Amino acid sequence: MPTQPTDRYAQFVGTAPGTWLSSQLGLPRPAELRRAQPGKRVLDGPALVVGTGLAPLRADLADLLRAAGTDVLDELPEEAADHGGRLAAIVVDATGLREVAELEQVRAAVVPAFRRLAPSGRLLVVAAAVDEAATVAAAAVQQGLEGFVRSAAKEARAGATANLVRVRAGASAADWASTVEFFCSGRSAYVDGQVVTVGPAPAAAPAQERERPVAVVTGAAQGIGAAIAEALARGGAHVVCVDIAAQGEALAQVANRVGGTALHLDITSASAPAALAEHLRTRHGGADVIVHNAGITRDKLLVNTDADRWASVLEVNLAAELRIDDALLETEGALHAGARFVCLSSLSGIAGNRGQVNYSTSKAGVIGAVRAMAPLLAKRGMTANAVAPGFIETAMTARMPVATREMGRRANSLQQGGRPEDVAETVAWLADPRSRGVNGQVVRVCGQSLLGA
Amino acid sequence: MSTVAPFVRVLDAPPVLARLYPRAVTSRPDPSADPTRTALEQRGVRVDADRLAAYDRVCGFPLRDDLPPTFPHILGFGAQMALMVTEPFPFRLVGLVHVRQRIEQSRPLRLGEELTVRASAAPVRSHRSGAVVDLVAEVGTGDGEPVWRGVSTYLARGASAPAGAVADDAVDLPMPDAGQPALWRVPADTGRRYAGVSGDVNPIHLSTASARLLGFKRAIAHGMWTAARSLATLDARLPQALTVDVQFAKPLLLGSTVQHVAARDGDGWRTAVRGRGGIPHVVTRVLPG
Amino acid sequence: MAPALRRAAIVGGNRIPFARSGKRYAQASTQDMLTAAIDGLVARYGLQGERVGEVAAGAVLKHSRDLNLTREAVLSTALAPTTPAYDVQQACGTGLEAAVLVANKIALGQVDSAIAGGTDSASDAPIAVDEGLRRVLLDLGHARTPQQKLKAISRLRPGNLVPAPPRNSEPRTGLSMGEHMAITAAERRIPRQAQDELALASHRNLTAAYDRGFFDDLVTPYLGLKRDDNLRPDSTLEKLSSLQPVFGRSGRAADLAEPTMTAGNSTPLTDGAAVVLLASDEWAEQRRLPVLAHLVDAETAAVDYVHGGDGLLMAGAHAVPRLLERNGLTLQDFDLYEIHEAFAATVLAVLDVWNDEEYCRERLGLPAALGTIDRSKLNVAGSSLATGHPFAATGARILASTAKLLSERGGGRALISICAAGGQGVTAIVEA
Repeated sequence: MPTQPTDRYAQFVGTAPGTWLSSQLGLPRPAELRRAQPGKRVLDGPALVVGTGLAPLRADLADLLRAAGTDVLDELPEEAADHGGRLAAIVVDATGLREVAELEQVRAAVVPAFRRLAPSGRLLVVAAAVDEAATVAAAAVQQGLEGFVRSAAKEARAGATANLVRVRAGASAADWASTVEFFCSGRSAYVDGQVVTVGPAPAAAPAQERERPVAVVTGAAQGIGAAIAEALARGGAHVVCVDIAAQGEALAQVANRVGGTALHLDITSASAPAALAEHLRTRHGGADVIVHNAGITRDKLLVNTDADRWASVLEVNLAAELRIDDALLETEGALHAGARFVCLSSLSGIAGNRGQVNYSTSKAGVIGAVRAMAPLLAKRGMTANAVAPGFIETAMTARMPVATREMGRRANSLQQGGRPEDVAETVAWLADPRSRGVNGQVVRVCGQSLLGA
Repeated sequence: MSTVAPFVRVLDAPPVLARLYPRAVTSRPDPSADPTRTALEQRGVRVDADRLAAYDRVCGFPLRDDLPPTFPHILGFGAQMALMVTEPFPFRLVGLVHVRQRIEQSRPLRLGEELTVRASAAPVRSHRSGAVVDLVAEVGTGDGEPVWRGVSTYLARGASAPAGAVADDAVDLPMPDAGQPALWRVPADTGRRYAGVSGDVNPIHLSTASARLLGFKRAIAHGMWTAARSLATLDARLPQALTVDVQFAKPLLLGSTVQHVAARDGDGWRTAVRGRGGIPHVVTRVLPG
Repeated sequence: MAPALRRAAIVGGNRIPFARSGKRYAQASTQDMLTAAIDGLVARYGLQGERVGEVAAGAVLKHSRDLNLTREAVLSTALAPTTPAYDVQQACGTGLEAAVLVANKIALGQVDSAIAGGTDSASDAPIAVDEGLRRVLLDLGHARTPQQKLKAISRLRPGNLVPAPPRNSEPRTGLSMGEHMAITAAERRIPRQAQDELALASHRNLTAAYDRGFFDDLVTPYLGLKRDDNLRPDSTLEKLSSLQPVFGRSGRAADLAEPTMTAGNSTPLTDGAAVVLLASDEWAEQRRLPVLAHLVDAETAAVDYVHGGDGLLMAGAHAVPRLLERNGLTLQDFDLYEIHEAFAATVLAVLDVWNDEEYCRERLGLPAALGTIDRSKLNVAGSSLATGHPFAATGARILASTAKLLSERGGGRALISICAAGGQGVTAIVEA
């Protein structure tokens, strides 16, 4: 295991005296999260797959997990079974639920299994889209599942998570497979209490993916950007690593290590959108994935935020991104068919953050842009999604004052900060060609932070 | 494996090893001491190009903006020594043998970054030949991003671990499957040159005369020099995020000619420095991530 | 059957910022810098693990241990370790000559891609041992018996232990390059102010090029340096004209004219490395890499600066007319001119002789003067007076910048002329 941004508190409570002390004081005891490793299976133990109501997806869910090498159980095993009867995942098909009384089936299925959930286990509820419900009761039931999952996420222990996937009418198993896999696997280690809707892949999507898709990552020289470049390269993409010229040496090393190319570009310059579009068109025959990751902070309280701090943050984090999107969408050949946009937002853009009024505005703006783009892009077979990281252990968050930092680390259901790779894996899932049915979603990578909705 | 000592002492200046070694000879071990009680921390550490270049020259790395993965060890070594000498420590330093080294890094550290260096110790473990203790060095950015971690395992022959101590269960690293080995002629002044860049002035590395005082036939190479020199041969092939395990076997006498072998092993590499008859001096395993 | 010739494409280049000697790169070796320059190129064009046809590069100031400098650097880069490499050395013409060599191999179809360049460090210059000591050491190595060894050692004298630093002078004249240039400048009556104006233009043009992002895909920072540290964006004619002359204060030059050459209108000792990627059009197209321009033709001349009365740095003036004739061009048929600014006076002297009927007839064997050039087309993105001049790296710097300038303007033709020690000059035509 590589050294990662771990924190000393987490290390301390891992020691014998630390465990004792923290339990005496009722302090949080963060667990070490299961994370994906190359060659590792989606799940490292058996999965209980239960259907409630008609459960039209149960069989497909079971097949998918079996194909991923998971031992699928129909009912709760004996305590003495392999793994001590522990479950790596509980997957509930609740798409068929229509009546309030039927919710009892969810309770009955989950309650005995929940306590058997292994460390870093997964509770995944698959539900229907609320706006497609035929009756008021069905809408209420389907919406109610969100409350169920979000509360279960808060009660889950030892790094276990709970998430909800909504499947729209017409979406096939192929459309939601990558999403269910993501939420079951260690790749979603720090994604908790989230709701994601999957629809049918747009008809305009290309039938075949390129052998080596091309992904653009802005701000790729370090931190989360470098982690995203690595994750996409692991998935087989050629990554065009973009950063300002002053980061050139770090950028060259990232590019050389991921087998991609380095492109020095100041995204805020007037010529950048056209230059990037032209580069992608001529050098790569269009990009398949665009990851808008470059971002800056210029933190000050609202009353001290001057025009410069305001403008520079909005320019880098939002305006430049929109100009680039326009140029790429307008330039023939800059994007490959079925391109996918992934835009980095932030928890600050959802929940707000003291001293970050400029940053929060820009990152909320990113969400607005993604939601507006999604339906337009769908017509062209493309998607746009936002990823909103919470407290991720990077140089940027480490600049926070100690109290704020500790607060940020602990104030979530997993009681710890995430890692750049957690964000990167989430981006990689959205960039996966099999995730074309995921569009216009905002996915938080925050360990179910107490902040925000 | 990581531990967090309850007491952290912040050092005002880097420890001077030339002063610690004489104290190491005279200091008395305290068999009941708990080495995990204290950690030493040094803040605001910066590596400049001169120091990096000197290290790269001695170990065979090209001068880049990245620090080689073995470099941060020399940043933490002084504090590790100070922990063993100036704090209550259960073993006598003279006679402690560096038997293994693990290096984990999430990314290469970069020239000019402000760094915080922290040294601590893990609980003593029992070993078939005595007892072992891990000295941990952690190097992160001044911002608090931990990046590099080194675990140096020292063996105290004949010493005993406290009752109930966990047993050391490390196994020998296998030798690489390699074709034609490279020949290294290790110059007699290597120990002095590495001491110059690392500050590790242990007399067993400096000259035949000083090494004889401590029972060696000739001066021996610093284990970490041999490991660094070996990894330097992989150079551009070293992954950005990596875990390296190093096993120090037989001491390498300076002035001798040895063989170096390196071979791919899955995603990673194995290397070894071996002497006559294939007896290993240093064996490494490099894994990405 | 000889294969059909094809023109070598210039795909792009990369260099590290140049640093004044003894400063930012004081601890970097020529090999370190060449490695960094190649790695930046590899990153820009996605050549990781690729076996490039060949890498040709060199250094002027070279340690004896660097006998395989370029190949050793390649082994440290992200290129495939199966990429062959060799060293080239033609003084300050090294980088361009290396590019011409690989371009010819590409033209002949012997390789499809190649990297050419150079690296030099005045900070890490080799220091040789005294010749007497060297002989003693060699004999000692050959000696078999103790008597022979003793005999060898007995020849050692205290004076032998003083090291011999590298000399910045021509072996056959004992004059430094600056002194040589000062003679030519005095002979041609090159005014001080014209030299200072050229130096100022170099700094201004380079500053403007950096500011508009021209070097974003030509330069990769190294050891924390992001721009050439010799660049003086705020330089003025007043400042330049206040500097004291450093060359031509004695000897023949002083007999002819007042000294004019200062530290401001001469290049400083510099550390750095630069490389350029050349390929066949097909190779570039297969990888969807850009073709900025083509290297059309090249000519290298040498002059007899020892006995023949030619200026040491005037060989470019001799090479160009031969190049023009072979290509059926006149001096005015170019959109850009890149004349290496070893000294401001070098550029001005070359332009001066081309417009001198008598010089052109008698020395160049031409029927008439070549004429003048449009000075607004000269060194438009700055040159060595502003960037500095790590000898072997300069050619690759100029070639890559020129190719990009041509590509930016949508086509055209450029003339490159680089003077070199030993009375040599390497020139080339680039077209886009």
